[in-house]
Amino acid sequence: MIVCVAVVGHQNNPLYIQSFTDADDELKLHHIVHCSLDVVDERVNNPKKAAPTLNETFLGLLYPTENYKVYGYLTNTKVKFILVTTDLDVRDADVRNFFRRFHTAYVDAVSNPFHVPGKKITSKIFAERVSTIVKSFGTSAAG
Amino acid sequence: MQPLTDDEYARYMLAEGKRFQDSFEIIALFKRAFEAYSNLKSERTAAYCRFQMAREYFSVCEFHNAKEIFDKIANLYRQEGWILSLWEILGYLRECTREISCVKDFIEYSLEMAALPITSNAFDPSSKDYGPAGPASLSQRAKIHKEAFGVVNGESELSLKEDNSGYKVNSHLPLYLEIDLVSPLRVVLLALVAFHEQTVKPGVSSLITFSLRSRLPINIEIDQLEVQFNQSECNFIIENGQKSNASTIPCCLSGRRVETAPALVLATNKWMRLTYEITSGQTGKLECTYIIARMGPQFSICCRAESPASMTDLPLWKFEDQVETIPLKDPSLAFSGQKAIQVEEPEPQVDLSLCSCGPALVGENYILPVKVASKGHAVYSGELKINLVDTRGSDLLSPREVEPFSADNLHVELMDIYWDGLDDHSDSRSDKIQKIQPSFGLISVPSLVEGESWSCKLKIMWNRPKPIMLYVSLSYYPHNDEPSLQKAHVHKSLEIEGKIAFTISPRFMMPFRKDPLLLSKLKAAYDPEHIPLALNESNMLIVSAKNCSEVPLRLLSISIELRGNNDTCIVHPHHEEFTEPIIHVPGEEFKKVFTVIPKVNNSQLNMGMVCLRWQRDSRPPDEVHSWATVSQVTKLKLPDVNVELPPLLVSLEFPPHAILGNPFVFYVKVHNQTELLQEIKFTLADSQSFVSSGPHSDTIYILPRSAHVLRYMLVPLCSGSQQLPRVSVTSVRYSAGFQPSAVSSVIFVYPAKPTFKVNEKKERQ
Repeated sequence: MIVCVAVVGHQNNPLYIQSFTDADDELKLHHIVHCSLDVVDERVNNPKKAAPTLNETFLGLLYPTENYKVYGYLTNTKVKFILVTTDLDVRDADVRNFFRRFHTAYVDAVSNPFHVPGKKITSKIFAERVSTIVKSFGTSAAG
Repeated sequence: MQPLTDDEYARYMLAEGKRFQDSFEIIALFKRAFEAYSNLKSERTAAYCRFQMAREYFSVCEFHNAKEIFDKIANLYRQEGWILSLWEILGYLRECTREISCVKDFIEYSLEMAALPITSNAFDPSSKDYGPAGPASLSQRAKIHKEAFGVVNGESELSLKEDNSGYKVNSHLPLYLEIDLVSPLRVVLLALVAFHEQTVKPGVSSLITFSLRSRLPINIEIDQLEVQFNQSECNFIIENGQKSNASTIPCCLSGRRVETAPALVLATNKWMRLTYEITSGQTGKLECTYIIARMGPQFSICCRAESPASMTDLPLWKFEDQVETIPLKDPSLAFSGQKAIQVEEPEPQVDLSLCSCGPALVGENYILPVKVASKGHAVYSGELKINLVDTRGSDLLSPREVEPFSADNLHVELMDIYWDGLDDHSDSRSDKIQKIQPSFGLISVPSLVEGESWSCKLKIMWNRPKPIMLYVSLSYYPHNDEPSLQKAHVHKSLEIEGKIAFTISPRFMMPFRKDPLLLSKLKAAYDPEHIPLALNESNMLIVSAKNCSEVPLRLLSISIELRGNNDTCIVHPHHEEFTEPIIHVPGEEFKKVFTVIPKVNNSQLNMGMVCLRWQRDSRPPDEVHSWATVSQVTKLKLPDVNVELPPLLVSLEFPPHAILGNPFVFYVKVHNQTELLQEIKFTLADSQSFVSSGPHSDTIYILPRSAHVLRYMLVPLCSGSQQLPRVSVTSVRYSAGFQPSAVSSVIFVYPAKPTFKVNEKKERQ
């Protein structure tokens, strides 16, 4: 189950961060996403230690915690997508698929002429699409 | 037994830590984790470990340690815009400062929290994961805002846990916050200052606009604003017209200008713009440095003034998707306004004039009058500074040059400065002239009342032809009794071209109708610059002097100065003084013929120098008598000549004119000046203008040291300038031929015998 998705700008500032949990761990998830940026920086700056394919935008599993798994995705404009899930046996293909759909939704959101690049995404439509993608991820993984 | 993996060990330690709940053990674990992540350059994870350490310190009431750590990691979240995490940390910092009775820090953290970009009220009141400040929401921001302002206004007491007492702001315990250009409290109060102009004259007013903005959630009312400048006499106060207790604010600002604004209310996220006039009497930079906002008698925020052009974005708020308004209504000022203005020097009311009299001439003492005339200002402590600068940038004639000048290097130099009344008893010359260098001069100007004038003259010498820029600056005080005021300055510049007055060109020629055979000319290695002259013969030296300047010049005398004794060469005339000075307009050429008779056989005879004495023709007739003392001399070294004894000399003799039909005799004399017998061949070419009788061609032998004369009787057949029959003389020994030039073989033939009436009168007398 996905508990948090985040979009982080190239200045490592959060552009969009959404939790999907009823528990009181929103702040904790913020910290998890923030700490995962260290791993993203390391993957970007040391490509030899990353996935075999250098041009890969999907960064894969960033780091596991006791209860979560954190996945990362880097766009061509150095915007990072972070996914935090409680599922411990998620398939790589599912995560890739999720990021691909998420990326499409992000592109649509920033293509809005009223959106100022570098500022937070406040579009409700984007939030709804993200919720849909998150819900469908959970459904397909269970199936 | 198999060894534990890292994961298993980590899980075991976490479980043990949770079981025992020993805070110091936990702190130690987190500290090791922090060090490990720091070594791996994982800055954020290391910060999170420190955050956990600080929470543990907080839980065991070690508030100093906790505050120190929270302070350090708060900056990371500020820079990267992680608001919720920052909110949590600021909440902890607030509580730490409350616990350790650090009231100022408490207020600062409170205001920063209240100004965070949190606009949502959606939160779960039961949430416990937001730190001691509670969930991040707009209402929570407002609550913190009210609490902080309640304390600073003295309305409420801040309970201090450390000494179990309450803190209340009063006159003995005022609160003063400072916000600089990098302070996180810029979100609480941001002050932009923009002058409407970039420069202004002293005493002339200019408009200045102050734009203030706050991100606090509740409007704040300011009682008084104090605006401070680098020129403290410009400081002034803006009072809130709606506040009745503004006058009770204690301030040692008596005598300051006080303005009243209808209201000084900072609405949330809205610019408050105030525009006033400002006048400065002091030249230089006038810069707004601080704006101090006083809210109540004991609370002040001192905000560093910023220019709109160089304003940096507010961290955290720059990532928010919201409408940005410009700080000033004028868009140009909003993006390029500056908090400083340049106050120019006062407009001088003294006229400084340089009276140029045309271009300068090399070798001449160029006199340039400088006049200082008061046109409204009196002149006190005046100083005149003179600078000579090369216009082409080479050989800069600046007093900054360290190397000493030599006469050869000085192309143009300032010789002297003098003025009328120099011998007055009141001011001696040495008192007035402060410094004179070849390219710099500094003299004191006497005090002048309004309407008076004073002048001096600069004497400048050009040693080489080059243009210069002359800069003359006058600095003075307009008033004698106000020494603190700035000096007024007047600047004038003048480009002066330096030119050569005369170009002298000498030319040596053979005597007219005489041609010596000079053997050096026949050699293959003949150097045309090595002028050969015949020994003991009258050679001609024609000296041409051309006026190359743009002004008429008077030629006073011309002479040849020989080197060494005069036995080597006879020059006639040696010196000629013109009783009536010859005036040459620009471009005109003067020629003088000298006779030069070399007396010694010398291959490199030094002929000395041509000296031309002249002066500028700019003087009135009644000053002509004084030209002798102010004339200039231009000299030119004559080229060395090669004096040799010619073995043969051919000369032509015939009358200056002939009469049509009347015969006359034409002689061709060949002189043998050697000890050898010379074989000479000659030919005569017939001319249609003459009937000639005499040998047409023959070979003759001339004895040593003797001459042979060829005599021809000619009868002119045509009148006018006629070419005589051409005679060619060839020396067999030297394989050299002579043919007279066309000019020297011309004779004028009158149609009838001329009558000269003037001569006849003289003859009668």
